[in-house]
Parts: sequence; C-alpha cells; structure tokens
Amino acid sequence: MSHDFGTLLFDPAHAILGVPATLTVGTNPAVQITVIDHTRPTSQTTSSLEVRGVAPGAFARIPELTAKGIERSNYDGASLSFNGRNWTVYSHEIRGSPNGEDQGDVRFLLKAAP
Amino acid sequence: MTDVREDILARLLVIVGSIPNMRSAQRNSVDFPEDLLPAAIIYDGDEESRDGTDLSMHPSNRPSMVHMTPEIIIAEQANEVGSDLTTLRRELVKSILTDTQLNEQIVKTGRFGNGAIRYLGCQTDVGWMRSMYGALRAQFLFKYALQPDQL
Repeated sequence: MSHDFGTLLFDPAHAILGVPATLTVGTNPAVQITVIDHTRPTSQTTSSLEVRGVAPGAFARIPELTAKGIERSNYDGASLSFNGRNWTVYSHEIRGSPNGEDQGDVRFLLKAAP
Repeated sequence: MTDVREDILARLLVIVGSIPNMRSAQRNSVDFPEDLLPAAIIYDGDEESRDGTDLSMHPSNRPSMVHMTPEIIIAEQANEVGSDLTTLRRELVKSILTDTQLNEQIVKTGRFGNGAIRYLGCQTDVGWMRSMYGALRAQFLFKYALQPDQL
C-alpha cells in the first residue's frame, strides 16, 4: 500500500510553515503560491577573513507550481517576493518525494533582486 | 622612536578607508558581518631581512633594509560584484602607489630615499550569499630601512 506523502507530509508542512509568496516569470502575470522561508546563515572565507551573511532560499511545492503553469524551465530567473523581501531565483534544486520528484518540493536558491 | 613598519600599516588603513564607496576599513579583522561591506582589511605582513647571510663584522645596530609584504583583502557583495571589485582594486592600487605621505615620508621612495613600494598582484574568490560575494586579496611589497637605534 503506497502512501500519499503530499497529503501526509507536504500539505501539512506548507500549511503550518508556509507563507504567501508572489512568483513572476518574465512578463507573465504574477501567481500567488505558498513557500517555506529557508533563509539560512552562511559565510565565505578568504584567507584569514570570514564574512558572515545569509543564503536566502525557499521551498515551494512542485504540484502547486505545475498547476499554476510554472514549469521547471521557468524557475531560474523568476522573481519571488515573500516576507517583505524581493528575490530573484538564480538556481534551484529538486528535493524529491517517495511519490516521485514531480510530487515533492523544489528549493529555490535566491539572490537579492536588483 | 620611529617604527616604519607600524607607520606603513597605519597609513595603509587610512588609505583604504578613503577609497570611494568603501564602507569600512579594519586591520587584522578575521570575522566580518555582511552589513559592513564593501570592506577593506589590512593584514600585517611578513617582514624579511637579508641579514641572515651577512655575517660580516658590521655592528649589529647598523641600519639595514627589510621587506614587508602585507596583504589587503577587499570584500563586497553585489549583483555585479566582479565590476565592483575591479573598480575597488583600481582605486586600491592607485591610492597606495601614489600616496604622497607613504612614498615621501614613510617609505622614502625615489628621490626621498632608498625605499620602494611594489604591487605584487591579487587573487579573487567568489561565492553566493545574499548576492554574489567577491573578495580580492592584494599583496604589496614595501622595502624600507630598519634602524635599530630609532626603534
């Protein structure tokens, strides 16, 4: 018997931890999605110097993106706004799911919008 | 008391702090928050003399020439961090090699003495933080007189 991890895991996680976000691909109309803010501390080391900052990121549900017309080829370069900040997706990573990668999360790797 | 090494390092801090758009300048900092970028950090350099091969009967307190090679790191994060670093590097090299006080009064280059200042080169690092992070490590060589009686 297979389990639906979307219903059992991803839906509740996004319902509790998710925040409203606006995703814009190119000149297409913006779409409203839910993301989990995954901004984390990071640092860069050069010789003796360590510079501390943050690595912005966000989890989004691939089924939600697909249902709203956002394909994988649209991820990179999209604009994403949530929690009062504006970002650009510079890359992404598929996080997978026991039900198949298309049913899991994608983590957007973000940079400050120009 | 005259300590040329310290005078050079102190002057370098003033010079890098006056580079246009530089937000902060510190000496020997190893831990830096992103809020202070763009930043320049002076690292006290190694100092070498040639006295190890000079075993003549010259008095030990006679003046000799030494070389110091401090490292300067410029760190920045921006969408166009490469261009920003290039601009900051240009200002860094120009500011140090043309600084009147450093050349004429401290190191005593050219007609002011037998000191010298040379730009040795630079290396770069990049990575992601809130934006693209970039760091430029530049090395300079300072040749100056070590006068034990004046220390």
